[in-house]
Amino acid sequence: MRIGMSRMLVCATALALAAGLTACGNGSGGGSSNDGRIHVLVYGDASNKVERRIVDTFNKTSDVKAVLDTIPGADYQQKLQTIISTPQAPDVFFNWGGGSIQPFVKAGLLMPLTDFVKKDPNLDDKFLPAVFNSAVVDGKPYGVPMRGTQPVLLFSNKNVLDKAGVQPPKTWDELLTTVKQLKAKGVTPIALGGGDQWPTLMWFEYVYDRVAGPELFKKALGGDKEAWASADSKKALGMLKELVDTGAFGKNYDSVKYTTGASPALVASGKAGFELMGSWYYAQQQQDAKDFAAKGLGYTTFPTVSGGKGDPSDVVGNTNNFYSVLKKTKHPEAVAKFLKLMYSDEFVKAQLAIGNLPTTTNTKQFLGQSASPAYSRFQYDLVAKAASFQLSWDQAYPQSASTSMHQAVQQFFDGKLDADGFIKAMQALPAE
Amino acid sequence: MKRRPNYLAGAGSLVWLVLVGLPLYVMLAATLRTRQDYASKGPLSFPGDFTLDNYTGAFDSGFGRYFLNTIIVTVCVVGVVLLLVPPLAYAIVRSRSRVTSQIFRLFLLGLAIPAQAVIVPMFYLITEAGLYDNLLGVILPTAAFCLPMSALVLSGAMRDISPELFEAMTVDGASPRRMFFQLVVPLSRGGLSTIVVFSALQAWNGFLFPLVLTQSDSTKVITLGLYNFQTEHGIDIPGLLGAVTLSMVPVLLIYLFARRALVQGLMGVGGK
Amino acid sequence: MSTQTTSAPTAAAASKEGRRRPDTAYAARGTRPGFLWALPATVFFALFAIVPLIAVAVLSFMSWNGLGSPQFVGTDNWKRIVDDPVMVKSIWLTLLLTALGVALQTPLSIVLGVWAAGHQRNRAVISAIYFVPLLLSSTAVSVLWRALLDPNFGIPARMTWLFGDGNLFGEQTTAIGVLAFVSTWQFTPFHTLIYQGAARAVPQVLYQAAEIDGAGRYRRFFHITLPQLRNSVITSMILMIVGGLTTFETVLILTQGGPGTDTTISAYYMYQKAFQGFDFGAGAAIALCLVVAATIISLIVVRVSGYDKMRSDMEGVS
Repeated sequence: MRIGMSRMLVCATALALAAGLTACGNGSGGGSSNDGRIHVLVYGDASNKVERRIVDTFNKTSDVKAVLDTIPGADYQQKLQTIISTPQAPDVFFNWGGGSIQPFVKAGLLMPLTDFVKKDPNLDDKFLPAVFNSAVVDGKPYGVPMRGTQPVLLFSNKNVLDKAGVQPPKTWDELLTTVKQLKAKGVTPIALGGGDQWPTLMWFEYVYDRVAGPELFKKALGGDKEAWASADSKKALGMLKELVDTGAFGKNYDSVKYTTGASPALVASGKAGFELMGSWYYAQQQQDAKDFAAKGLGYTTFPTVSGGKGDPSDVVGNTNNFYSVLKKTKHPEAVAKFLKLMYSDEFVKAQLAIGNLPTTTNTKQFLGQSASPAYSRFQYDLVAKAASFQLSWDQAYPQSASTSMHQAVQQFFDGKLDADGFIKAMQALPAE
Repeated sequence: MKRRPNYLAGAGSLVWLVLVGLPLYVMLAATLRTRQDYASKGPLSFPGDFTLDNYTGAFDSGFGRYFLNTIIVTVCVVGVVLLLVPPLAYAIVRSRSRVTSQIFRLFLLGLAIPAQAVIVPMFYLITEAGLYDNLLGVILPTAAFCLPMSALVLSGAMRDISPELFEAMTVDGASPRRMFFQLVVPLSRGGLSTIVVFSALQAWNGFLFPLVLTQSDSTKVITLGLYNFQTEHGIDIPGLLGAVTLSMVPVLLIYLFARRALVQGLMGVGGK
Repeated sequence: MSTQTTSAPTAAAASKEGRRRPDTAYAARGTRPGFLWALPATVFFALFAIVPLIAVAVLSFMSWNGLGSPQFVGTDNWKRIVDDPVMVKSIWLTLLLTALGVALQTPLSIVLGVWAAGHQRNRAVISAIYFVPLLLSSTAVSVLWRALLDPNFGIPARMTWLFGDGNLFGEQTTAIGVLAFVSTWQFTPFHTLIYQGAARAVPQVLYQAAEIDGAGRYRRFFHITLPQLRNSVITSMILMIVGGLTTFETVLILTQGGPGTDTTISAYYMYQKAFQGFDFGAGAAIALCLVVAATIISLIVVRVSGYDKMRSDMEGVS
């Protein structure tokens, strides 16, 4: 009797689970690549509407249909790494080039696009070389640019600068003077979302490039640990330290975040003069502080450093996002056809309309149709003329390095690491 | 019994009310403001221009579908818990078999397993079972991680059933099954309501399992929708909080209607 | 671990025992359910929690980045985390945060719970408000408090006499304080509910007797209410400890383990290792440390309190 009862319970459980299965079992089975379609996996954010549109365009003419899957923001990279070696892997996926795809290349998961480019040279020629090259690994291309370029710029509140009687600084020395003048007026000279850590990193990227040129970081990334201990490296650290010590960022920058809107609000409300941020900052301010974005928001290139080895035209930031292709895709022809859309006029216009700046050679002729033409033109010229476009350090290194790198830059700004400590921390990063 | 008012406790509870109430006020106020108003004046100021866009915006970004998915997950999780835990707790409290006391220990230890500790193998387990990107693949692990706490609460409630009642039924020659349905289940209703609320909350607010085990829009639950909303709209705090507020309305309603049962149910947690 | 004790041979042996027992015990003790009643839940739990846990244990001896197949590396991961200063620091931070959580939440939720147990109408309304933080996901709670504690636009800007320059997230002490406070804010309602229920269950006779003896309010609280809440205290403390040891989303959103590694608690460190560094082996080793720590602490509480003996005592009575 008792055992009968227990058996009954077991059966009931099984039944209930089976019922649950049929009730909830209408999931599509996700990104399995065996359903005769190509799965395109992208980072879930506001740009998805363009990607959706391009997929629709593709599906109008292609026999093999494409499906767009999105993974919400911050966990994109983690989730991608979990599924990329399982049957759930997509055919084509979004990435940042550089270190973000390097482990996949090493594991032999990705298809070199050499053959695609051979068949259709436009897949290479139609893109700005500085951008296309940041998805080249071991001499072979692994990605096609698919969104917009995002150089880091120095933004400012013109009204605050006017009141203090200062100009946007052209050189590092001018920057230091400006900082002192703004401080005297009682405003925080430079807003910094130190709580997010990566905004702090942007200062390192620019100062290192201006002082030592792009080669120092290239060497370090290639495994030359001495690069971090070089005289140029120490000089750059000394300059950063001086900037922090003059109170350029105020005292509570570690409690301020960019991602909560706190640091842009400092600039928009006139409590701070400058902020160093990626080009998306413009759109951000347009949404948060429309009047300020229209009348008070200034933008300029990063100051030059006298005696520095870096070309003043160098920029740092996110060169672009890329589509890479899995080796095991069953429909390489369809994928190649899909990638060709990334330099189509339709793609360029749609990206410009939502404020992204594509890096194709035909972008220039459509700049007038952008959401904010003057700003787009400024950026496009900057990137097109740049002697070097340094991919953000945390993207250039393999992702496993980013936590330690972020901690090190934060601790250096806090004074918890001195120059030697910082150098050691950077030398300990897992390089290429 | 006559009671003097307890000023000290009253004052303390008022302080706590402010600490709880202020953030909630800020949240509600923020949801009624435009993004510009919030960004320029900060969280503490009074709303300048009222708007309901933050709520309609949440629905426009697909929250209806996410609501439905979350309801399915929640109902199924509660169902699994209600099916599995009462017999388990009954055995824990009444069985004299040594195995059940080991099982009880196992569940006590199970309290200490953080979901994130097992998430990697869980992904492979669910993928192997063909349940990836399927709501069932979220329901099963979520329910499993509700079991230890539910077993603890319900066995506590069942322990309070007076032994005399069992003896009386034994004299009548009742089988364990009859005792279960006629005595144990009716008398542990409070505990049952607690585990329903507990597991429903777990399912409703579950984040990690859906994040790792689902992928497409058709299987997205509210918490993921919120997360997505945050990245998709950058730093739109009022919009985000509007979505948050919407997501808690159903649970709050259930709480308001089931409060009495809940508080009574929790009496079982600590015994007497 | 006791996971092994449920393995097949033991269960089979015990099942025989379970079948035999009622025959002899029937008359004297009454019919009791066999362990089979517990089986469906146990199997289910084993499949979705214990099996993955064993897999984690195996993984802690492997090197794996999520791509390709895992390599057996012996005790390498373990050696690395033992030598890792951040790991050692994270354990202390975890224990500190857990202890702070228990120290803050226990008295607060007892007082609030006992207060809310009164049947006055206003108390019902207020306790409904108290309950609301429980309905918010950790993500929402963290976003909310991050906005409230912003040094330039939030509370600290209005109360500079208390917060100074408002750099709450830039110093270890204050960052830990914020984490402890936010967890308290979020989870006190749950424990308050537990105590509210328990306080209502205290027999009124005890209070009446005490009142006749002339005991004051505070004596009644300390001599009747508190001792009667003993089991609730244990249950709620175990939950607080486990919750404290596994705190995760709050750190992820509020401090990201910073400044530097000053709030990198073990659960967050595990996440960083496994999902940001793709060092799943080391992540698994940290995860196991966490599980073991939580188990030991829970066992100590259970032992010291005699919680596990409660069952046999009860049975002695029945």
